[in-house]
Amino acid sequence: MRFDYVKPRDIVEISKAKKAGGTLFAGGTDVFVKIRNKVMNPHLLVDTKGVETGKIDFDGKFLTIYMNTTYRDLLKSEVVKKHFPLIFKIVKTVGSPQIRNRGTPVGNVGNASPAGDFLLSLYLYEASCVIAPTMREVKISELVKGPGKLDLGEDEFIYALKIPYLQGYEGYFEKVGSRNAMVISIASVGILIKRRENVIEDVRVAFGSVAPTILRSREVEERMRGEKFSQDTFEKIGKEYEKLSKPITDIRASANYRKKLVRNLPLKAYFNFKGEIP
Amino acid sequence: MRINFRINGKEMSADVPPYKRALDFLRDDLRLMSVKEGCGEGECGACTIIVDGKNIPSCLMLAVELDGKDVWTLEGLVEKGDTIIQDAFIRKGAIQCGFCTPGFIMSVKALLNENPDPTDEEIKEALEGNLCRCTGYLKIVEAVKEAVKMLKIQGGKP
Repeated sequence: MRFDYVKPRDIVEISKAKKAGGTLFAGGTDVFVKIRNKVMNPHLLVDTKGVETGKIDFDGKFLTIYMNTTYRDLLKSEVVKKHFPLIFKIVKTVGSPQIRNRGTPVGNVGNASPAGDFLLSLYLYEASCVIAPTMREVKISELVKGPGKLDLGEDEFIYALKIPYLQGYEGYFEKVGSRNAMVISIASVGILIKRRENVIEDVRVAFGSVAPTILRSREVEERMRGEKFSQDTFEKIGKEYEKLSKPITDIRASANYRKKLVRNLPLKAYFNFKGEIP
Repeated sequence: MRINFRINGKEMSADVPPYKRALDFLRDDLRLMSVKEGCGEGECGACTIIVDGKNIPSCLMLAVELDGKDVWTLEGLVEKGDTIIQDAFIRKGAIQCGFCTPGFIMSVKALLNENPDPTDEEIKEALEGNLCRCTGYLKIVEAVKEAVKMLKIQGGKP
């Protein structure tokens, strides 16, 4: 496999290289696997690491993660650990130490895999993406159109991710797979919940690997607001999402098994929130 | 394309094609045979090298990306006499076929540089990206603990 390589020093140059048909990469943990498997045959690789490396900002309202910031950078950030514990937890499960040293959250979004664990956290937090070169902002759910499909112009690329700071929420994340490291999930679930006494004030539920993109339903969430924090409610959540899920059968699991996971994972989350599962 | 970098402590300049992987450049051109190709997809860790202090899979990196970097392979550790981890692997029998061993040692090296006194859990987490099909991992964890002990005796210096 032969291709050219450029490493532009500014955003305009990256944008030009993309328009000329270049494939952008930062850590290469997705791109080089795709090239090797002949899923991708680029003539020009554009290394984005000539700009904005390793930057993370927090202004009290938003956490901003720039292109080329690695998963490792996030795990080393006190801000992420303290104010975004669910994101910290999810990042810890991404790939392996070697992959986290190279791979980037922005790249994970660029890849737009329905199994992208970081992508799932962005859906939960209702993050926005800053799109270069104009720096327009777009909601994550509007950017991702399907597996590997993003609503981007031919000169556009993701410059940064803006994640709103949420207070008073408890988080839960679980990934079902066959090995601790390098698991591409059979199914995954992330939940953010805000409760007072025994009443749910707000709940957000997102599933990975059970539909063409991350599955999240405002409608179901809306209906759960004001409901009791109980086994009953979480069983209802599981059943509702089971109906909405559109899993496929692949090398990792059958569609049927994935449906069952969607129904049961919220229940497991409930017992975890209650502290009944260590 | 011209790259200038440090390999195992020595400055080096080389011409590399833009599409060549770091793995192929190190192994085929520089003949650093400790860098092994297992899966070629970042799953197995056999090609792990240390770049700017971090362990990374050299199969998912281009040779041109080595430009300006400080790169270490197992050969470099042996040359400078930093063989505590290697010795611990041999003493504890954490090796059978040996194919995965250089990758493991580089991951252990990266771990101990950052965290000289890891817990069992931290050791396991740090080695999640390295696969071994012979030993069953128990002896590898024992070897890391042995290396930690030896490092303490030597005051943390290799």
